[in-house]
Amino acid sequence: MLRDAVRWLVSSLVLLFVITALTFVLASMAPGDAAKAILSSQSGSYTVQQYQQMRHALGIDQPLPVQYWRWLDGVLHGGLGADLFSGQPVTQELNARLGPSLSIIVGTVIVSGLAGVSLGIVSALRGGALGRLVDAVSLAGLAVPNFWLALVLVELLAVRVQVFPATGYAPLSADPGPWLRSIALPVLTLSAGGVAFVAKQTRDSLSEVMSRDFIVMLRARGLSRRSVVLRHALRNAAIPVVTVLGLLLVGLLGGTVLIENVFSIPGLGQEAVTAAGSHDLPVIEGVAFYFAVVVVIANLLVDVSYRLLSPRTRET
Amino acid sequence: MRSFHCMAAPGSHGNRGAGRRTGVRAAAVALAAGTSVTLAACGGQATGTSPTTSSGKPGEVLTVGFSVQAPETLDPAKAPQNYAWFEELAYEPLILQRSDGSLAPGLATSWSYTGTGNTTFVLHLRQGVKFSDGSSLTAQDVADDLGYVVKSAGQMSPFLAGDTFTATGPLTVTIKATSPNPDFPQILTQDDVVGDIISAKGLRSPSLLGTQTLGAGPYMLDASATVTGDQYTYIPNPNYYDKAEVHWKKVVVKVITDPQSMLNAMKTGQIEVANGDPTTIAAATSTGLTVTSTPDLWMGVTLADRGGALAKPLANAQVRMALNYATDRSAISKALFPGTGAATSQLAPPGGYGYDPSLTSAYPYDVSKAKQLLAAAGYPHGFSLKIVTGDYGGENLMAQALAQQWQQAGVNLQVTDDANSNQFYAAAFGAKFPAFMTVFGQIPTWIEGPSLFLAPASYNPFHTASASLASLYQQEARSSGAQQVLLDQQIEEYLVNQAWFVPIVTIGLPYYATSAVTGTATSAKAPLLELYEVRPAS
Repeated sequence: MLRDAVRWLVSSLVLLFVITALTFVLASMAPGDAAKAILSSQSGSYTVQQYQQMRHALGIDQPLPVQYWRWLDGVLHGGLGADLFSGQPVTQELNARLGPSLSIIVGTVIVSGLAGVSLGIVSALRGGALGRLVDAVSLAGLAVPNFWLALVLVELLAVRVQVFPATGYAPLSADPGPWLRSIALPVLTLSAGGVAFVAKQTRDSLSEVMSRDFIVMLRARGLSRRSVVLRHALRNAAIPVVTVLGLLLVGLLGGTVLIENVFSIPGLGQEAVTAAGSHDLPVIEGVAFYFAVVVVIANLLVDVSYRLLSPRTRET
Repeated sequence: MRSFHCMAAPGSHGNRGAGRRTGVRAAAVALAAGTSVTLAACGGQATGTSPTTSSGKPGEVLTVGFSVQAPETLDPAKAPQNYAWFEELAYEPLILQRSDGSLAPGLATSWSYTGTGNTTFVLHLRQGVKFSDGSSLTAQDVADDLGYVVKSAGQMSPFLAGDTFTATGPLTVTIKATSPNPDFPQILTQDDVVGDIISAKGLRSPSLLGTQTLGAGPYMLDASATVTGDQYTYIPNPNYYDKAEVHWKKVVVKVITDPQSMLNAMKTGQIEVANGDPTTIAAATSTGLTVTSTPDLWMGVTLADRGGALAKPLANAQVRMALNYATDRSAISKALFPGTGAATSQLAPPGGYGYDPSLTSAYPYDVSKAKQLLAAAGYPHGFSLKIVTGDYGGENLMAQALAQQWQQAGVNLQVTDDANSNQFYAAAFGAKFPAFMTVFGQIPTWIEGPSLFLAPASYNPFHTASASLASLYQQEARSSGAQQVLLDQQIEEYLVNQAWFVPIVTIGLPYYATSAVTGTATSAKAPLLELYEVRPAS
């Protein structure tokens, strides 16, 4: 157990290092730099001397490895630097945006998991017309573009029937009711594809498990079909589903960008896009770091789930 | 920022749109009281008229939609004009720009040039003004603030650079310019941002100004209810000198960059006032929103290489005129800006600085004449011309339309479409292309010169110099009143006749408002919505 924990910790640190280093290099390769963006936003025209002074002031005239080391040193001392434009600590800016993004992402994973697994079970066990209907609905969920679905949902559930707000985010800490309403449409939008994915995986996995010998033996022992499915088959079929949910969570980190824009949600995705456009390297690095941490945590949760679901993985 | 934002500021990492000169200001006490005040202004007497006073208690919450990316800083000395809403709620300007274009007292109750030549400008400040931090306004604060503006090298700092700012009395400030400046009153309004005065505490700690407000305006930023980059919450400034002009218990400026999302937010009552977008005007109108728009911008082409360094034909004025004649402005206006744009051959919008009605149709669509001019210039078979375009407001589509139209006259327009605004500005202002698409907002001609048409201007990357244009500009700098208006028109006439540009359409920035608010009118000289005039409808 301890060996596993150490292994996980080391691999997580390596992952964080690789992702942030890669982000640093890629962001630095983009045309332009923060000095130009700042000078342009302030006065439009500027001299070469002003430009060089600004580069020096921002520290981006240093070699890339030096810049990265400085950033890394800051991380080791508990900080992610400051936004080059606003001067605010990056952690402060990103923490304010973490809640909205996590609300949408976690909400989508939960809705996708519950609805997808339910539909998958129905499809696997019932078959026939109902099963085909579930399949069709799942496929439709995969085929419908997110942004289109978002616009439709807004028109129907925010503009015509004013059940949910069309835009914005209400913090959970202020009031759970408005928070739930504010994330409802983004979560529904993103869940369409997630439900389809999970449902298909559940159906395939459960169908395969239901055809195994031990299921037949359990039924032969007189266990009810309900008991066999919920207590035995589903547990065996759950591992691939958990994998899909983990992948879904990681995929949503990038997938929320467009939805955050449509619903005007102040999340990490929007911040990443803004920072990339302005070459705000500390913020770009900060977002990459936050995303990487979420990926690490998602992987951990998936691993833990494996162990809980399958005794065999506990023994390895 | 873009020409659209008037001051030739490139890039700003894609921050385009919004309102240059979006004003927010509570009017002066005398004005709020409904008293007509006569002011000494700009070498003459300007009469201030009274705005409608607040009829009752403040409304609850005004939520404003802002359609551009969030501001990088709230520092008035550094913030570009198109982010003026964010500063003006919390900073009182020296001089107030009204929605009808007139100037009125702000922190200064009167102002005037002294002597001749527009080099000495004196401001008399209001008594008893306190900043939101509790400190009292002094003439030294204003002098220090203007010095800080110059030091900060923001967008408007070139127009104050080299000047001296002196507290010549407890409430009197004298500005002495090294060269004539006829536009001090305009520069010191909320629309040009730098007129917003910062408290001494803010000036001592400029790092605070990026995320806090330390002004004497009707509101102040509530940092605890503000999420940087998303929404900015302002609450009444308890020290504001004219509480009758505080119309709201809270003002929230919310950043929504997607036009459809903005419209949806207005439809559902989440937002009362917002920047609109040409793509949603029809839907906004049909929904019952009040749509306000006054022509403010011209869109077209800057024929930058007037010396022929990259494109020799452009050195010939006949060629530049031919390109103007080869442009079917009406077709482009109807196709790209139905109901919102108007074809024009001049840079100034109707009623704007330098506007001359006779120049609007200076270059009617005439392909034959274009060919004749090209032949006379030595290009009977036309020529190839490279142009770079960004993607703001459909300028890339306009470039494609021009390519087809100019082909009729034998000109092969090769379009480079650069969606990355930083790259576009680098190419355009770096003299990498002989021509570039342009969207430029109106500003006083004297202020416009250094960014648009004088030799060092960003929009003049090949540094074309004209002695006659420079002479007109120098005369304009020393002028005032009717003489200044006439010289503005002469400069406009020169630019049109010499075909330095190919103006195609003039358009306005749309603003949307729900029936819950009033005071969203705009005018030719103040085409951007003055937020301070927005008040509850009942």
